[in-house]
Amino acid sequence: MSDTGKGVRELFEEVIYQGLCTGCGACITGCPYIVAHEGRIILLDKCTVVEGECYKHCPRTYTDMDVVSKKIFGVPFSDEELGVALDVYMARTKDSEIGERGQDGGTVTTLLALALQEGMVDLVVCTKMDEDKVPRGYLARSREELLQCAGTCYEASFTLEGYRSIPKDSAEKVGVVGLGCQLEALTKIRQYPPEKNANPDNITLTVGLFCGWALSPHVFHPYLKGHYDLAQVVKFDIPHTPHYSFDVHTKSGIQSVSLDEIRPYINPACQYCWDMTAEFSDVSLGSAGSAFPGWNTAVVRTRMGADLMELAKRKGILETQALPDQRLAHLKSIALKRKKTALENIVERTGDKNDLLYVGNLPQGMADRLLETG
Amino acid sequence: MTSIAMNKPGATVLLMGNEAIARGAIEAGIGVAAAYPGSPSSEVLLTIASVAKEMDIHAEWSVNEKVGTEVAAGASFAGIRSFCAMKQNGATVTADFIVNLNMTGIGDGGIVIFVSDDPGSMTSSNEQDSRSIAKWLDNPLLEPSDAQEAKDMVKWGYEVSEAVKLLTFVRGVTRISYTKSNVILGELPEPREKKAHFPELWDMYNPHKSTFTAGPSLVAHKVLHEKLEKVRELFEASAFNRYWGPENPELLIITCGSCTSYCTEAVSELKAGDKVGVLKLGTTWPLPEKLVAKYLSTTKRVLFVEETDPFVERSVMELAARLLPATCDLAFYGAESGHVDPYNEQSTDLVIKTLTGILGITYRGRDPDYDREAKETLKIVPDRLINLCAGCPHRATYWAVKKALQLDGRKGFVCGDIGCYTLGFTSPGFFQMRTLHAMGSGTGVANGLGNLKRFGFDQPVLAVTGDSTFFHATLPALVNGVYNNADFTLLILDNSATAMTGFQPHPGTGELATGDPATVVDMEAICRALGARVEVCDPFDLEKSTKTLLRMMAEDTGVRVIILRRMCQLLKDRKKIPREYKVHVDPEKCLGDGCGCDSLCTRLFGCPGLMWDREAGKAAIDEAICVGCGVCADICPAHAIIREEATQ
Repeated sequence: MSDTGKGVRELFEEVIYQGLCTGCGACITGCPYIVAHEGRIILLDKCTVVEGECYKHCPRTYTDMDVVSKKIFGVPFSDEELGVALDVYMARTKDSEIGERGQDGGTVTTLLALALQEGMVDLVVCTKMDEDKVPRGYLARSREELLQCAGTCYEASFTLEGYRSIPKDSAEKVGVVGLGCQLEALTKIRQYPPEKNANPDNITLTVGLFCGWALSPHVFHPYLKGHYDLAQVVKFDIPHTPHYSFDVHTKSGIQSVSLDEIRPYINPACQYCWDMTAEFSDVSLGSAGSAFPGWNTAVVRTRMGADLMELAKRKGILETQALPDQRLAHLKSIALKRKKTALENIVERTGDKNDLLYVGNLPQGMADRLLETG
Repeated sequence: MTSIAMNKPGATVLLMGNEAIARGAIEAGIGVAAAYPGSPSSEVLLTIASVAKEMDIHAEWSVNEKVGTEVAAGASFAGIRSFCAMKQNGATVTADFIVNLNMTGIGDGGIVIFVSDDPGSMTSSNEQDSRSIAKWLDNPLLEPSDAQEAKDMVKWGYEVSEAVKLLTFVRGVTRISYTKSNVILGELPEPREKKAHFPELWDMYNPHKSTFTAGPSLVAHKVLHEKLEKVRELFEASAFNRYWGPENPELLIITCGSCTSYCTEAVSELKAGDKVGVLKLGTTWPLPEKLVAKYLSTTKRVLFVEETDPFVERSVMELAARLLPATCDLAFYGAESGHVDPYNEQSTDLVIKTLTGILGITYRGRDPDYDREAKETLKIVPDRLINLCAGCPHRATYWAVKKALQLDGRKGFVCGDIGCYTLGFTSPGFFQMRTLHAMGSGTGVANGLGNLKRFGFDQPVLAVTGDSTFFHATLPALVNGVYNNADFTLLILDNSATAMTGFQPHPGTGELATGDPATVVDMEAICRALGARVEVCDPFDLEKSTKTLLRMMAEDTGVRVIILRRMCQLLKDRKKIPREYKVHVDPEKCLGDGCGCDSLCTRLFGCPGLMWDREAGKAAIDEAICVGCGVCADICPAHAIIREEATQ
């Protein structure tokens, strides 16, 4: 389980050809051999680099969770359901412009816009859908640019190609917003600073997004294209339970299909993901499983995350309220279930309880506990 | 340079074999010369074309060898001596016509076909021995052993041809075509008096007495074989067959063509002239049997030295069988016995090795240190891989093809054929070409692959062909594909010349063999008229050509054509077309080797104009080689290769 001496060949053999790629985008951009095309990661030619950053940074190659946690939080990897968490509460924006355009509570956009405004970051690595609603990594340097990135498309989005496109000599302070897998890759980029890309020490803020699963763009996007005039689409949404639908908001109204129609397009790699709440972040936000409609649940993980939330409240652009115990318990239970299911799926695949693929160096006994409980 | 048409009979001039062939045809008074270019034969028509006007010759690059031979036959029917040149592959192409021409016989004008073979396939896809074609076609075959003989044999070939009304083959090989030696010139022909005229032998009262129609022809077949017997008699007395050596040699070498010199040198080097006799045959089909039988009777041991097939060897063995029991004591050495390699070229060294083995003598050719010194010396010669030229449009095309096929992801592949772009099968073309056979065959094979959908075949098929090859043999395959609704994408790599063989013009270039202007045959219009979807791209626009390829491949039925048009860089240089860019590497931006680019530019793209500065670990431009095409600026992931408009 060593990550030394491995490069692009092993990346494809162990991750991509195995259907484990999450589509985070950490391996593309700057590398002429690996490109994303129509939702797939493609190897264009033979790279002979024995020890490639593509392999080291991939969130699905061996990851020493303890080392990464100490790098990010200064503490060992937490075996809590929600990971390292200073506080958990509900939040929603009071910025009407953001409220209209955000996905749920608008908290993510509010926080990032504030961070840009206050100079806490100079740019935000985020995800932007193009005219064909194809999500790609993007660098937003202003509130306006950030607002263009609001909303989700539910497809794996190669967000980190945006990070890798930051010039090597850039001194800009970087904020990153992404899913658990993307932030896992980012932590590995911080662990193994790229030789020829921007200095990861410039990353000052990471905002995580809760994630249940993402759709495989190379199959889902053709589906979307086949069913909708994408130029007319303004928003995709999976509303809160008890609704069980995928809603496409178009300029002429909402078209709703059962989630069952969408589920076959879920990226098979997501079944091996342990991280529903994007644990390697300063603050992570989401709605699934915990919050009320129009509200987000915020898991504040670092001082930086806490300060940003506080500042937003002080500025009157964010309101918060406590998350009811019952809701918190529910959130924890589904986050735990995710970890458990992921490990079970991994062990089923490897046939070996000691081979957890990328999930490396968990706290003593954690894997056994997760795998044993009914 | 002296003109090949110089009127100096008896003068000795240094001529390349191919020039000597041309001179022979000129001395023979040909009125028509046709050829399709192909190494090692290309210079023959170039040489004739260079004096075509002053010698009143119609010289043409025909679209293929069959048409070229038909052009020659047409002239022959009207009483004009004519000539056609080709490489070995062409002999196969034209065989269908000749087998029928042999049924009717030629006209009053003799025809000589010069075929130059390529033992060792140095510039070919095979090392076919064309002599067997002459044999199964039933045509006289001459094999020159040097430039002088090449000239003289062509001239004599017309006499043989006209004596029996069959075309005569003259077979060369690379070493005959490309070796220069002294040639004593003969007389130039007298000005032509007779008007060309198709013979009016047709008689309305006896309409079956038609001259040149091959029909049900048992009689014609018999006549053909009778003609060959007549040729054999001519050959028995030919001065092109010579023997030298003792009256009763311990070993008789029977050789021909280029191997004659190797045998002569080997015998001399071994000082074995008192033991070994050499029978050199210049007329190898039909075999001059009486002559050969005479020399077989002088020895007990016979060695055959020839390139490549045991052609003379088998003819002589057949003869020996018929001569039994007189030949029962003879021992034969050659390809059949394993003493001579029937592959690749022969050489003096190889003949020496064979002779020392058979004669049981030792030979120390060189100082023992020679090998060591030679190996040391070799170290200072840099390794050079086979490569496309700096600025070659094909490299850019294959780069786009590689990218498009990888992005497409359905395991598509390229079916190829013959041209500079053949290098697509190896590193300069990024190993994209997966089938390679004859002219136009990539498109033909793509036709077959493109109709396998019913069997679950789901890979995109690309065919590549050159502009000259398009006219040579691709067109019928393209028509076939459109007609039979084959599913493939044809890439016509139009570099405005038959580049690999020396930039000969073709129907698409607007130029004749003589340099005069010609009607441009518009391949794009042809493809459109056939009903194929056609797009034209500049291969240097990597992004557009990649996108076009992807889009064309994604369409799932019928024939799509992409014409990748960009003039051959060498031709641009010849035409003194100025370079477009000045290119340099910004060392600050260059990532160097290691993770980031892994020296993509030199390691994979591989244009000879790019260098890797090992000390700096950075890319650099070789100013002496770079032609300023600027394509590398688009492949550098760090945008470290900078192209600026060239100031003239």
